[in-house]
Amino acid sequence: MRLVSLSLYIERVDLGPVLTLSNTEKTFGALPAVAPTSFTINQGSFVSIVGPSGCGKSTLFNMIAGLEAPSAGTVQLHGADISGRTGHVGYMLQKDLLAPWRTVLGNITMGAHLTRGVTREDEERGSSLARQYGLGEFLAHYPNALSGGMRQRVALMRTLMTDHELLLLDEPFGALDAQTRFEMQRWLLDVWQSTQRTVLFVTHDVDEAIFLSDRILVMSERPGRVVLDLTIDLPRPRRTAMLTDTAFMGAKREILSLLHHESGE
Amino acid sequence: MRFRRNLLGSFLSFVVVIGVWQAIISFGHVAPYVAPTPLDAWRSIVTNWSHLWPLTLATVKETLFGFVAGATLGMGLGILLSKRRFVQRVIYPILILSQAIPIIALAPPLVLVLGFGLTPKVVIVAWIVFFPVTVSVLDGLANVDRDLLTLARAYGASPWRTFLVIEVPSASTSLFSGLKIGATYAVTGAIIGELAASSGSSLAMFQHSQSAQLDAAGVYGTTLIMTAVGMSWFGVVALVEFFTTPWKRRSVARRAGRRI
Repeated sequence: MRLVSLSLYIERVDLGPVLTLSNTEKTFGALPAVAPTSFTINQGSFVSIVGPSGCGKSTLFNMIAGLEAPSAGTVQLHGADISGRTGHVGYMLQKDLLAPWRTVLGNITMGAHLTRGVTREDEERGSSLARQYGLGEFLAHYPNALSGGMRQRVALMRTLMTDHELLLLDEPFGALDAQTRFEMQRWLLDVWQSTQRTVLFVTHDVDEAIFLSDRILVMSERPGRVVLDLTIDLPRPRRTAMLTDTAFMGAKREILSLLHHESGE
Repeated sequence: MRFRRNLLGSFLSFVVVIGVWQAIISFGHVAPYVAPTPLDAWRSIVTNWSHLWPLTLATVKETLFGFVAGATLGMGLGILLSKRRFVQRVIYPILILSQAIPIIALAPPLVLVLGFGLTPKVVIVAWIVFFPVTVSVLDGLANVDRDLLTLARAYGASPWRTFLVIEVPSASTSLFSGLKIGATYAVTGAIIGELAASSGSSLAMFQHSQSAQLDAAGVYGTTLIMTAVGMSWFGVVALVEFFTTPWKRRSVARRAGRRI
């Protein structure tokens, strides 16, 4: 049973690495997509990856998800090699990819249906998760009746239901308008803090990355490699006022100068 | 609500067709032995009903068996061809060839093999029905969202579960289009079969004799019955679609959960 704290913020303890990449690289034919990359992600942390378009972020995610096998190097989850093996991490994309023929609850429990069949317990867990995070009234709705923000919440609930320690979120709010996006960021932090998961988050938005993360990895242009590993020294829970904090601005300046330098601007 | 509006629409189109028919006969001064009024055609059906009823049942049976056989074969082929690209390259030209054969020319060889019974008619109906079903299943499966399939793979789903949970429901819209075309054409196949592969009585042969007797009202009446059979099968498929795809017409389901 996972301990859930809604309003209380519990100080996170460093529980060691969940994910370890060791000289992981990917080439497609002669074209290098991801240069040899090594980093570790600690349990319970929120880490963002930012970088110019086409820098190989998605390829990196596909390797961690097991959808692509690395050309060299390994991907380890809790010390076990999961290179090229799927079904070990939660994965969510910018497109919500909800099945229009399934209800909100049906979409939340889709992972179970895809792997073993949905039990009564799955439905009860899915319902209580949905209720807890503001989707309670929409359990029987079909996705076509929901707004973009609501659809992404359902997609995140579906990802949470898989029970994987590590969640890969690939620009989940990229298609939302600014206001919805801001609400979703705070909602995501709430979900993350109360479910005690480890999040690896890809975004183009530097403000979003700093606001959400404990740590930011900045990638270079293709072939991608990590050029900056920056710890964000802002207290949690994060507040809107922190967007103008000097620590926030400092981090932003550092990341932007690197991104612009890297993209040759 | 939408169901009732559809029903009203269908009723109005029926009224329009009958109205135009009546207008052509009345204002065109068409002689009764050339073409009857709708009412005369209807009267002829009522008069001949005791004779028409068993023949209609036989046609219904041919279309039912032929449709079920053709739809099953069509879905099976569609799935096989979409999953095995090489098989598709070999089989697809043969499927097109099968449809290029004039159906009427198919009957004599079938009679040689299968005789004059129910079987050749069922085969002709199935022959017509399977093709649109196969093509629609192929299209439906080819157009499943690639990202959704990638997501299923990331979840570690087996190909079989991915097929059931993602591909079948994704392809259902396209499948129903094929089934509707097949259901409408089924009666055409049955009537061709009755004309070309009948020794006994049938709707087609009965109409043939009515035509020989210059019984225009009878000929039209029998055509109406044949048309009604075709439209009924379309209606059955549309009804099945209506009840199996609630997400197309509702924003909220009756039940949230759906355990399998």
